[in-house]
This record gives sequence, structure tokens and C-alpha cells, in this order.
Amino acid sequence: MKTIALIPAYNEESRIAASVRDARSFVDGVVVVDDCSVDRTGEVARAAGAIVLRHVINRGQGAALQTATEYALDALNADALVHFDADGQMVAREIPMMLEPILSGEADVVLGSRFLGRATNMPFTRRMANRLARLFTLAISGIALTDTHNGFRALSRKAARELTVTLDRMAHASQILDLVKVRRLRYVERPVTITYSEETLAKSPSSFRAFGIVKDILKDKFFTRI
Amino acid sequence: MTFQVILVLFALFAITRTSRQYRKRKVSLYWFLLWTGLWALVIGIALYPTTADAIARFVGVERGADLALYLAVVLLAYLVFRLFVRQEETERSITQVVRQIAVQHPSKPDETH
Ligand SMILES: Nc1nc2c(ncn2[C@@H]2O[C@H](COP(=O)(O)OP(=O)(O)O)[C@@H](O)[C@H]2O)c(=O)[nH]1
Ligand SMILES: [Mg+2]
Repeated sequence: MKTIALIPAYNEESRIAASVRDARSFVDGVVVVDDCSVDRTGEVARAAGAIVLRHVINRGQGAALQTATEYALDALNADALVHFDADGQMVAREIPMMLEPILSGEADVVLGSRFLGRATNMPFTRRMANRLARLFTLAISGIALTDTHNGFRALSRKAARELTVTLDRMAHASQILDLVKVRRLRYVERPVTITYSEETLAKSPSSFRAFGIVKDILKDKFFTRI
Repeated sequence: MTFQVILVLFALFAITRTSRQYRKRKVSLYWFLLWTGLWALVIGIALYPTTADAIARFVGVERGADLALYLAVVLLAYLVFRLFVRQEETERSITQVVRQIAVQHPSKPDETH
């Protein structure tokens, strides 16, 4: 079984090397999509041992994951994929645990959850935001999860083929859940550790992004599929 | 009176602009006809407000000017919607192109040495 980790990255030159190196010890290959970063993310990732695909225009995290997925399936012939982050919030040691249900054939999709496990110092506002997200996801996708926007996932080749992401920005996480339900893929949740450092929190005001995500999902639901 | 004159002049201006765009093949025949028809209607209402009032009353609206306003809002909403769908299509096409370029030029770690 060939396992490939996919890392979308945007301006992560200071963090990407560690992420790539950590991930490499648990998979057969790492694909980084440098999403038109203005820093040296691409070069640093390659030096750390990743195959780097570059988006010549920034298309967002969802688009980057889809690019990496197509490359891993078509060019690298991957059997199982792991979605991983560039910013060091995830723990690479947990990759084998995430892949296990795929490799054993127990599931097609493994979703990381911060709430089955011990999220390291998650801020209160994020906890509340997640409550809302859970309700929203249940209402929109009809899928009940403990954590709906966790970027740590493992997919079988079959699942990766069926989960084509068309929402380019952050709403891809919801779209993936939607498709898991629609395509009737077998999924399980696994507890994962996500660390919140000053640096990562400074990057993205979560409430701001939540609006963007909800907007993209509703747009897609009500307009794009006509 | 002044307003009517301005309206007619502007409508004529819009029609000549559109027909020039059409002759240069910048807009389709469909848009040319739609746009010209629309401004012709504006001229009609400006010159014969009483006729417009009659039409308005026929469909159950008090005044011609009101009817014109309602129709304008509906038309604008429709145009915004179309633009919105187009925009979304364009975004997706851009992503497709960007993705093609990305997967055709992978940079692999061993090539650095
Ligand atoms: N390709 C791509 N990746 C992005 C973009 N924005 C963020 N990312 C990456 O997606 C991952 C998660 O992003 P982050 O902002 O930390 O989101 P969070 O951890 O879910 O709060 C990181 O690896 C980022 O580098 C983007 O516009 N394009
Ligand atoms: Mg992060």
C-alpha cells in the first residue's frame, strides 16, 4: 500500500520544513501544494523532501488539496492519502493511527476529531464556533460528527476519487462531509491532537472565516448546482 | 420636461454605444437586441408618459413611472444573478488551468542535486 501525505501550504516557509520532515517518516511520499506563496515555501518544502506543485495563482486550501489529490492518484498511484497541515498544528506521529482503518479496510474515510481526544489549549471561542459548525453540518449535510472542520483526514484511493472538491476555499471541509454522505462512504472519527500556538492563532480570525465558509456553502447549495 | 429630454438623450447615447459595440463584435446579437429594446422602451415611456400610465393601470400599477421602476429592479436582479453565475464559472475555469499547470510541472526533491 502506497501512502501519500498531502499538504496545502500558503506562506509557511518557517513551518513547512518540520511538517514535511515529520510527515515523511510515516508515509511513502509527501506532496506539497505551494499556493502562490510570496515567501520561499516551495523551495523549503522541496529541500525538506516533498514533491512540490505550484499554483501560479492563489486558489485556496480546497483547490490545493484537490490538485494534490489528482497528482497523488494519477502520477504517484497512491493507495491511501492523508490530509496534513503545513503549520505544525498537527502531530505527524498520529498519521499511522489515522491510516489504520483505511489499510485494514475498515473505512474509506477517517476524520480527525479534536473532541474525541485532548485538544491542546483550544480557545473558548473556537469551542463555541465548533458547536455551531456541528449543528450547521448536521442540518446541511445530515452527518453527525464531533468535529466538522478538522483538516486531518485519511482517505482510501476509492474515496479520494469520489470526493472531488470544487469549493476552492475553506468550505471544502464541509463539501467533503457532504460527499461522504452522498456517496455513502464508510467513515470513522479518530481523536487527534491540534496545538494552538500564538502564531497560528494570530494568522486567522476564526469568526471571520466562519462567515466565509457559510457563505460559500450556501452559495454552492442554492446557486451553483442549478 | 427637462428630465424627459435628458432621459431620451441618454437612451439614444446608450443605443449608439451598443450598436457600435455590436458592429465591433464585442457583444452578441442577443445582447444588442435586448439592450436596444430596453432603451427604446425608456424612450417610449419618456415621450408618452400617459400611454405608460395606461399600460401600468392595465397591469394593476398606479403610474407608468412606478411600473418602469419595478421592472428595472427585476431586470437588475436578474442581471446580477447572471453575472454571479458567470463569475463562479470563471473562478472554476481558472482553478482548472492553475491545476493543469501545477501537475504538469512538479518539482521533485532529487532534481535539486
Ligand atoms: N494551498 C493553500 N493552503 C492554505 C491557504 N490558506 C491556508 N492554507 C494552508 O492550510 C492549512 C491550514 O490553514 P490554517 O490557516 O492553519 O487553518 P486552520 O488550521 O484550519 O485554522 C495550512 O497548511 C495552511 O498553510 C491557501 O490559500 N491556499
Ligand atoms: Mg492551522
